[in-house]
Amino acid sequence: MSAVLYHGQPNGASLTVLAALAESGLAIECRAIDLLAGERHALDGVTEAIALDLGVEGEGPVLLVDGEAMTESVFLAQYFDEAAGGAGLQPADAYARWEMMMWCRQITERLSPAAALLGNLAASQAVVAAIPQAGFDDLTARIVSDDLRGRWLALHDDVSIPAQIADSEAKIIATVERCEKQLADGRDWLMGSFSIADLVTYSWLAGMRLLRPSAFADAAPTNAWLDRVAVRPSVIAALARATVSEPLRAWAPGPEINRWG
Amino acid sequence: MDEVTLYHWEPNANSGKPMLALMEKGVPFASHYIDMLQFDQHKPEYLAINPQGTIPAMTHNGLVLTESTAIMEYVNDRFAGPNLMPSDPQDCWRVRWWMKFMDQWLGPSFSMIGWSVFVGPMVRQRDPQELAAAIDRIPLPERRTAWRKAINGDFSEAEMAESRRRVGLGIAKLEEELGKRPYVGSNQYSLADINIFNSTYSLPLSQPDLAGKDKTPNIMRWLKRVYSRDAVKQTWAMGKTDLANRYGLIMKEIEA
Repeated sequence: MSAVLYHGQPNGASLTVLAALAESGLAIECRAIDLLAGERHALDGVTEAIALDLGVEGEGPVLLVDGEAMTESVFLAQYFDEAAGGAGLQPADAYARWEMMMWCRQITERLSPAAALLGNLAASQAVVAAIPQAGFDDLTARIVSDDLRGRWLALHDDVSIPAQIADSEAKIIATVERCEKQLADGRDWLMGSFSIADLVTYSWLAGMRLLRPSAFADAAPTNAWLDRVAVRPSVIAALARATVSEPLRAWAPGPEINRWG
Repeated sequence: MDEVTLYHWEPNANSGKPMLALMEKGVPFASHYIDMLQFDQHKPEYLAINPQGTIPAMTHNGLVLTESTAIMEYVNDRFAGPNLMPSDPQDCWRVRWWMKFMDQWLGPSFSMIGWSVFVGPMVRQRDPQELAAAIDRIPLPERRTAWRKAINGDFSEAEMAESRRRVGLGIAKLEEELGKRPYVGSNQYSLADINIFNSTYSLPLSQPDLAGKDKTPNIMRWLKRVYSRDAVKQTWAMGKTDLANRYGLIMKEIEA
């Protein structure tokens, strides 16, 4: 089996997957790519491309296994856990697994698009706008998904909709409130024992603490939990792969905002 | 003794997923029909079970579970019976990937078209004040917005065009996938088949320009393979419409 994990700076989906790989103990080669240069859309050796072309998560990491491009950070974390024969990233009890998957789905459907929108406006818009037009045209022409290309174009042209920004900020606050509620009984980890839910939530929320600190001002349990996740050896190892000084401020176009309103 | 109750609408789309998963596993369950077009899902007796007012929901020995795909995963993990997930981790990943592709990308486009041509016109015939009160009772703001759009026919031409684009592309990609493997994402019947079958079995009738025995032979052979399963027949028999009869006639025309 040949396997390579192509990843961006350790934040968002790339951080989840890099940390999950470290938790699993699997020896899989990791190669950093520049997501904002469109390198994700020019990978060599892809023979099965649908998950890369039409993935829901946007510019997340790509695990290439025997030519098949695998995407979506939660499922890649599950894959590592299962390929390792059970690395303890998923609860054994069926109901606890259901709770974890429901939590992860809340995060990837609500927090991820919101964090990506706010993060990209703050950190990536100027970078993408500075790409010379011919290069940007080449980059977007390589993107197969019309809706992902639309998010790149909106970022490039700085088309920010005030209602979407306000809604995204509300979703950050709502996520912190959910974490507060979940951690209220004094537990260390979101699901009781450490799991993919901690990695996914940390990966999208930690950067928001830098960008929207007011949302975390009255959330001591959530701040303490973020600090606990930050010192997990797997998270430290993932963050050590950064090639920028503040990876939690590095973003690339993410999932789309729910089309239904 | 396990006590399982499923709150569901027709054996279709989201409601059909846990119904069929329970049938495939051979898990006995009490069926509680929620008439979506009468807004049963937003009435106090149902909100006492699922405060979010979404269907389906399942109770198992006092535990409450929601979200159709997640309920299916629970059913498969928790009960004996045939394993509806592959054993190979990469196949499992592929099954999950296809379910998310349907749940979050393709399915909402099917829904937007379905609500605009079917659900909206059906409920629009009611008393406007009664409808407004029914919408005000919907707990989730996103669902309130969606219902208002469906009832008022407020989907823009651009939204509908995007949904049609996604449906066309999604069907083409499913046709490709089923040219590679006998089932969605793996070589065995799995939760991905249950998930996607529940949103695609009507394609030959609802999207005849995009799907049919000449245009999408792989999808049609797969539909027939799934349709012929005993669990599908038992599940469809629980519906209050003539779905099974109508689709049975189509399937007869297709070679397995």
